[in-house]
Amino acid sequence: MLTIEEVKTRLKNKYQSAVKKFEQPYGTRLYADIDKSKVREISNEIIGMGGRYLVSVGYDNIARDKTLGLIHAFSLDRDDIFVCLRTAAPVDNPTFDSITPDIPNAGWSEREYMDLLGMKFSGHPKPKRLILADDWPEGVYPLRKEVPWNLMPPPAENVAYQLDEAPEGCTTIPVGPFHPTLHEPAHFAVYVDGETIKGCDYRGFMVHRGLEKLCQTQLTYNEIPFVAERICGICGSVHATSYSQAVEMAAGFRISRRAEFIRTIMLEIERVHSHLLWLGVAGHLIGFDTIFMQAWRVREAIMWFGEKLTGNRKTYGMIVVGGVRRDISPELKDELLGILKTIEKELVTIHKAIVGDSSIHRRTKGVGRITTDETRLWSLVGPVARARGVDIDTRRDHPYAAYDEMRFDVPVVDSCDVWGTVVVRILETFEAIKIIRQALDTMPAGPTMTEFAEDIKPYQHAITAVEAPRGEVVHYLISGEENRPERWRVRAPTYPNLQGVPAMLLGDQFADLPIIIGSIDPCFSCTDRVVKVDIRSGRISNLTGGELETISRAKKLAGR
Amino acid sequence: MDILYIAVNILVFLLLAPLFEGVIRKITARVQSRQGPPVIQPYYDLLKLLGKQNLSAGTVVFKFAPMLALASILGVIVFLPLGYQANYLTKYADVITIIYLLTLGGVSVLLGALSSRNTYAAIGSSREMITMIMVEPVLAMTFILGAVKVKSMGIAASISSVTAGGYGASVIVMMAAYLMALQAFVGRQPFDIAEAEVEILEGPFIEYSGPNYALFKYYLILKQMFYAALFVIVFIPPFKTGWYGADVLIQMAFVLVVFIGIALMGATHPRLRIDQAQKFYAVLIAASLAAVGLSVYGI
Repeated sequence: MLTIEEVKTRLKNKYQSAVKKFEQPYGTRLYADIDKSKVREISNEIIGMGGRYLVSVGYDNIARDKTLGLIHAFSLDRDDIFVCLRTAAPVDNPTFDSITPDIPNAGWSEREYMDLLGMKFSGHPKPKRLILADDWPEGVYPLRKEVPWNLMPPPAENVAYQLDEAPEGCTTIPVGPFHPTLHEPAHFAVYVDGETIKGCDYRGFMVHRGLEKLCQTQLTYNEIPFVAERICGICGSVHATSYSQAVEMAAGFRISRRAEFIRTIMLEIERVHSHLLWLGVAGHLIGFDTIFMQAWRVREAIMWFGEKLTGNRKTYGMIVVGGVRRDISPELKDELLGILKTIEKELVTIHKAIVGDSSIHRRTKGVGRITTDETRLWSLVGPVARARGVDIDTRRDHPYAAYDEMRFDVPVVDSCDVWGTVVVRILETFEAIKIIRQALDTMPAGPTMTEFAEDIKPYQHAITAVEAPRGEVVHYLISGEENRPERWRVRAPTYPNLQGVPAMLLGDQFADLPIIIGSIDPCFSCTDRVVKVDIRSGRISNLTGGELETISRAKKLAGR
Repeated sequence: MDILYIAVNILVFLLLAPLFEGVIRKITARVQSRQGPPVIQPYYDLLKLLGKQNLSAGTVVFKFAPMLALASILGVIVFLPLGYQANYLTKYADVITIIYLLTLGGVSVLLGALSSRNTYAAIGSSREMITMIMVEPVLAMTFILGAVKVKSMGIAASISSVTAGGYGASVIVMMAAYLMALQAFVGRQPFDIAEAEVEILEGPFIEYSGPNYALFKYYLILKQMFYAALFVIVFIPPFKTGWYGADVLIQMAFVLVVFIGIALMGATHPRLRIDQAQKFYAVLIAASLAAVGLSVYGI
């Protein structure tokens, strides 16, 4: 066990003047301002202390000191500490040392800021475009303050994303942008030899809606939760809670205990319905539609309850800065207990059926295999990590809401494959039911909303994590003037997990691709948060729009 | 009269095959706690597809493949001694003809798929080809089992004499092998590998739509009914009432039972991977060979 003081001493002793300042506004958060030249070394030092890379946050600080700021956030899971390394580079030469060679999961974050802020990372192994559309012009960096939120620059001509070179002797199979395996647009170019997968390239972010920029420029603190929950079609409460907690933390403000309990209940309701949804989808992906239909039938009851409780079938519109909008009445409590009882009973049946079905084992065991060490290296999160022997769960490691009072197990298995994720998710659903029951039992009385006493001071940093059904969600907030955040960075669990998918696919059969991608329960809308991208049907070609149109017309006529 | 039986064969198959497909869909739905479409939905589907615009990938092969497939399966059906009555054509062909015509249907699917030059169709075709090569022997051995007993390759003779002399070990083994291969014959779970919607989006048929697709769909459901009917004709001992119509009805009742089995099997299994299926098929081939071997020794 490390204490925050020990972390400080270690950094100070080893790096002396490279560590300029510590800030510690909240017991478990450590913000360290460090010298740009030591970013890579100090990041590795934190990893060496048992840290796990979370996300990087880049921000525009030009107006104040002509720099671009960069923050690498880490979690020390055993010690309940978040460490954020803050650094900056002058805007006329925004070059940083890339940490990706040591921490592969930082690859996307760094590419994101190459696209959005114009930063440069020396030593980055794959400095390709990640977020911006292919026809977005060079030199326009949407996250800089000078770029208006609704800018529509003229598109660049004759550009197309260049897929990675296919390995020798391999065929490219395009999966996406629209494909039944992917329930949202994304494009995987899968390189196969026969039916064995030898590699894959990913081009996503096709539904990047620019939410962060929108919220930083147009909305206010109190409005953002309603946008935050719409980041995801499933984990609404997760994002709203995580955002609200970040604002509350920046303000140094505590909400009522009852509201914290209700948030806990909402988060667990979400876990129950999300895991049932996933179970159905997983069944469908291996061609077992009976599991699909049955899991969704069982799930339906909790959706109806969600509508009764929040006014929305989905768990939207419930969580706001300062508490929750609706209370759980005694009648609703009884109804929820009844629903949980039914779900638990039916889930036991489904669980038994799945465990006893040898053909499901055949399709999931040994599939999507990566080792525990690789999982750690790639900083994977959630059930994907827990199925591979990595014992992390934000609810237990960094308690928030009312989780400090809840007693629950964190299921971890070490089968390191897709089967593990099935088991972990089913067991977690039982745990979620357990947590809801405890929360309902022990919920204290009190108000559901607490008003803020004073304005939030600008330029306060806050980082919060919430365990979503898919894994941990991280929100980083820098408070701003004008009653809105200066910078708000969202990292959904699919963001790290998707980066680990190519490793899981390697050497498996093409027929396993749907369930492997499915096993991380990908949520592309969460991962893509900012611009529409247009790429061709996936074949490596350079058709112009006009040519494509001509071809499709000719094809249509030929059929007459 | 003999010639009339041919018409009966074709009519019974054309009219009932979509109904049996509807039964499968209904049962699958019930297993999944769904209401399910009406049993006659497949007729609507076919009609709707027939009324749509025909889109073509541009090659002649692409256009003719569905017709060839449908024609070849109808060609198989006419030879079938439905209602235990050999018809006018039955004596002109032998079991080799049936196997050839069935293969021709499969080959048409491959030709159509490959001529579309779609990547998914290509994967689907290679899977379809593997399936064809590996399950066809089970069908061939079934016929040969009968042929060995009567020393004739004639359709009526070989088909109706598999169970002649009772249910010996060879017949039981063959029956089991046939039943297990049935899901692969009809392309249903766990062996719907060639079409696998979530991986390769209906594989060979991805580029087909409208009337062309309707012909393929009809081909598939006729083929499915053929394999179910063949099981009934070969392995269920004749219940001859003396009236042709009644005999046909009894056989159709058995076919319905086989279809219920197919539906339940399909609804309770996930799809296997092609490499896993291959191992399974290999076992089936070995079993059917063993059955023929046993029958040579009269077991």
